[in-house]
Amino acid sequence: MHLRVGLRKELADSLSSCRVLVVGAGGIGCELLKNLVLTGFKNIEVIDLDTIDVSNLNRQFLFQKKHVGKSKAQVAKESVLRFCPSANITAYHDSIMNPDYNVEFFRNFQLVMNALDNRAARNHVNRMCLAADIPLIESGTAGYLGQVTVIKKGQTECYECQPKPTQKTFPGCTIRNTPSEPIHCIVWAKYLFNQLFGEEDADQEVSPDTADPEVAWNPADAAARATASNKDGDIKRVSTKEWARSTGYDPVKLFNKLFKDDIMYLLTMDKLWKKRKAPLPLDWTEIHQLGEEAFGTGLKDQQVLGVQGYAQLFHRSVETLRSQLIEKGEGAELVWDKDDPPAMDFVTAAANLRMNVFSMNMKSRFDVKSMAGNIIPAIATTNAVIAGLIVLEALKTLNSDFDQCRTIFLNKQPNPRKKLLVPCALDPPNPNCYVCASKPEVTVKLNVHKTIVQALQDKILKEKFGMVAPDVQIEDGKGTILISSEEGETEANNNKFLSDFGIRNGSRLQADDFLQDYTLLVNLIHSEELEKDVEFEVVGDAPDKAPAPSVPEEGKNIANGNKDSAQPSTSSKAAEDDDVLIVDSDEEPSSSTMEASPESSNRKRKHHDADTDATASKRKRLDQQPADDDEDIIALD
Amino acid sequence: MTDNKTSKEQKYDRQLRLWGDHGQETLENAHVCLINATATGTEILKNLVLPGIGVFTLVDGHKVSGEDVGNNFFLTSSSIGKNRAQAATELLQELNSDVSGNFVEESPDKLLDNSPEFFHRFSLVIGVQLPESTYLRLGSVLWEAGVPFLICRTYGLIGYMRLIVKEHTVVESHPDNALEDLRLDQPFTELKHHVESYDLDNMEKKDHSHTPWIIVVAKYLEKWYSEHNSQLPKNYKEKEAFRKLIREGILTNENGTPEDEENFEEAIKNVNTALNPTKVPSATEDIFNAEQCENITSQSPSFWVIAHGVRDFVRNEGNGKLPVRGTIPDMIADSDKFIKLQNVYRDKAMKDAAVVSKHVEALLQSVGKPPESTSEQEIKLFCKNAAFLRVVRCRSLAEEYSADTFNKDEITSCMDSTDSEMVLYLMLRSVDRFYQQHSRYPGVYNYQVEEDINKLKLCVNSLLQEYSLNVNVKDDYIHEFCRYGAAEPHTVAAFLGGSAAQEAIKIITHQFVPFNNTFLYNAMSQTSATFQL
Repeated sequence: MHLRVGLRKELADSLSSCRVLVVGAGGIGCELLKNLVLTGFKNIEVIDLDTIDVSNLNRQFLFQKKHVGKSKAQVAKESVLRFCPSANITAYHDSIMNPDYNVEFFRNFQLVMNALDNRAARNHVNRMCLAADIPLIESGTAGYLGQVTVIKKGQTECYECQPKPTQKTFPGCTIRNTPSEPIHCIVWAKYLFNQLFGEEDADQEVSPDTADPEVAWNPADAAARATASNKDGDIKRVSTKEWARSTGYDPVKLFNKLFKDDIMYLLTMDKLWKKRKAPLPLDWTEIHQLGEEAFGTGLKDQQVLGVQGYAQLFHRSVETLRSQLIEKGEGAELVWDKDDPPAMDFVTAAANLRMNVFSMNMKSRFDVKSMAGNIIPAIATTNAVIAGLIVLEALKTLNSDFDQCRTIFLNKQPNPRKKLLVPCALDPPNPNCYVCASKPEVTVKLNVHKTIVQALQDKILKEKFGMVAPDVQIEDGKGTILISSEEGETEANNNKFLSDFGIRNGSRLQADDFLQDYTLLVNLIHSEELEKDVEFEVVGDAPDKAPAPSVPEEGKNIANGNKDSAQPSTSSKAAEDDDVLIVDSDEEPSSSTMEASPESSNRKRKHHDADTDATASKRKRLDQQPADDDEDIIALD
Repeated sequence: MTDNKTSKEQKYDRQLRLWGDHGQETLENAHVCLINATATGTEILKNLVLPGIGVFTLVDGHKVSGEDVGNNFFLTSSSIGKNRAQAATELLQELNSDVSGNFVEESPDKLLDNSPEFFHRFSLVIGVQLPESTYLRLGSVLWEAGVPFLICRTYGLIGYMRLIVKEHTVVESHPDNALEDLRLDQPFTELKHHVESYDLDNMEKKDHSHTPWIIVVAKYLEKWYSEHNSQLPKNYKEKEAFRKLIREGILTNENGTPEDEENFEEAIKNVNTALNPTKVPSATEDIFNAEQCENITSQSPSFWVIAHGVRDFVRNEGNGKLPVRGTIPDMIADSDKFIKLQNVYRDKAMKDAAVVSKHVEALLQSVGKPPESTSEQEIKLFCKNAAFLRVVRCRSLAEEYSADTFNKDEITSCMDSTDSEMVLYLMLRSVDRFYQQHSRYPGVYNYQVEEDINKLKLCVNSLLQEYSLNVNVKDDYIHEFCRYGAAEPHTVAAFLGGSAAQEAIKIITHQFVPFNNTFLYNAMSQTSATFQL
């Protein structure tokens, strides 16, 4: 009765028999479930691995305070059924990347709709839908901006047709030895949290890195370092956690080790400080002899305290976390979560103290939280708009009207051409796409003597090319298996170099992901001349660069979900909800200009580039205007 | 109390990042009236209840029907037959315990008959799916009372919004790409002194490369002035030469190769924007020249009182310049130098704001109001945003509807293209005309669609005739609108619910610039447009 309008009768009837999958039950997901049910969809499955957090309640309207901590998918289902008992909804509290959800599973549906917050899952669902040949609607929001697009195998671009830059991570030595921006200190503080209270991770070392390539090794320096590090006698280079435990997590001892002794040790690596301003160690007793004032006004969260204030906060939060750890019992670990006050206090304090040591301007808790949690602002209104658009695209898709389908960008306010929405015709698939081309192929430049098999698997195949469980064989005529997705089969290879297997310039690898039904041919180019801290390069990939200055900054924003952005997230909980690919464009590209003009396709590529710069520009934005205009934190730098 | 505050901070964390705690506070003090709990109505309200408006009052004289339950998430089959305002209020309340909801089981027409002043109390009235006669009446009541009015309508696959507000002032418009306010072209005394305290030629290397770029530009500007008749580098060529001058200042090592001085690189990069001449933007100038700014009375809203104070400052102490904004961007510098520089700007901003305060105080006194009627904080925020002030003035519905004052030019020029969203506006006006004549909308009964097409065509023609509009409305649109049968599909309602709530929040918080004054959405083509009608 309610949607006879605009729909042909056959389509309206088909809705009740059609099965759809909603991936994600967050901000967009909640709105979408409601819209689907009220549009006449009857058979809906929804999957989300996340649980409900208080900060979801300002927009995820299917959840209430009493649901905090429960499964999003499950509660969403129950809430929808309360209002619309006739719907047939199946909920999964699980990751869509779990192998149970194979191509067969995807084939159960006529349509898949993403309401995701991270690129890894988006890549994966994209591949599953291509493999199963099921149309996919992709969407995302960030603050006031939003986007919806339709992906259909062979007819439109897939999610990965336009190369996206690898996620920006920071070199270990920047984090450990030579931070130059607040974000480096914040990442360090998050690592420190895990090293002290959480799961230790060898990639998250926080102590000075003596293997820094900038520090030429010289025995005389080494002796000086040894003295410095052992000055206290009991400070040996044991694991940070072990050491902290041995002191009973004494906040003052921790403080002096992290902000005094370790810094003095860094000072002995004098090569590092020839061109940089050297760090200034802090001493617990000394700083308490200084009088100081607090900066900033307004909410407590938005104040910037002085060194003494952060030292006190450090002290308090270490004590709280220590007792939490004791309460949990032997061998327990804490998980960092930006919405957990003591954990956030700890990171705020430790990051600011380190910023002070390295002569940076300190940040308020509010700002640190934005950066540490990769927080993208989120409101009900944008999600409502986007979810409304998704269903309209869904109806056209089910009707196979792909010509009528659009990519739609939602602007913050009507643009100079008075358009709030900017619809664009869908682009045809990129013939060189390394995902949806008929025989996908890529060329990777790396150093075969320095790259180990593990790095090939984790950093190249999984992180860069989005595979979940790759099998790799060398096309050497013998079909040597380099990596097997079966546990234990090829683990012995992990720490060997590629050259150990006869891999050299021009070698070809065949990488298969059985789950994704995806095969990628990898051509290797050996190079000794990669830039410092660069392990590999994909040849022909868009350079990870900000756009030319002629492109107005405001128009070209993209966020790709906060878990995608800049720094590695140490939070094991899903960081945030509903965000993708955002373009806030003033121009209104028509299908013809999109296809024909190299300039506009160039611009489009730039959109994609923007997302890794989120954190860097956020820093600048937040500093200018404390809390009120970071909806454009995704602006380009 | 503090507990409550923390839990709110947590709940609203993601939106505080958009409008700040003061925006949130205004939201929590707002009382919004929503007329008609249709799908569009409850979607709008949902999107206002979630972010935490203070109070809402739902006005609706209808009973819940089966059709309502079919497209409205906040009505269930058990509520059929109950008053719609009551039933929807119960479920909407569940969304947020910090919001209080009221309902009035009466039609807006009855309220307008009996006590039109009922509507005066609200921060904003949102009228949903109202007949033309009702929104015209209500529009004139609210226009007189100065209460903002937002009309929302889902008609088949068309979404429509009209904002009617006599005068809406925005202090925090959150512009994109705002230029910094550095005053390098016209440095104030304290900044001059601070710049003088640096001697780039006699500095340790470390200090040299940790000198904020603002200082670097200021220093080289002095040098430039001495060689160029005290004229700023204006065109591209001169700016290039100026960049070169800065580049020459980069220290070199023993071998004569330049050192890596990032602060100088930053200075070079920022030359273009940093040398932008300081002036009062035209939008702010217009505000100074507005009649409301000229004639302050005891009734003047504080926006105009402060605007007058700032104007006095500009015309006297400011020597033609706005108060200093007081913020500087992040830059490469050591903490000590950065904070000192920041304080130079901040202190000047505070001084300027204090002078503005004096003007405001005097002004308030002259109209017999106590000085505390505007707060120090309000003045500071105003000064900080003085370059970005906005005033939105919408035309009234009476102006839009009168044959003498309607916006003929906009309509005819848009209709040059027959598929402009303007045609949707003309069609909505035509179906309203249809309703006036037949007491129902076209196509609501399937068996009448054919004859309704002809009737609607007559309405279109009479509308065009009445306004002497020589434009072509394609038959396709007439058929399409008949086919809609005034239905309210949920997904279109959901879209409009999001868009309308967004505008409502802009109006309530006085942050960001609302649309002016008509918005149209076509769900079929996924296009939208705004018009000034």
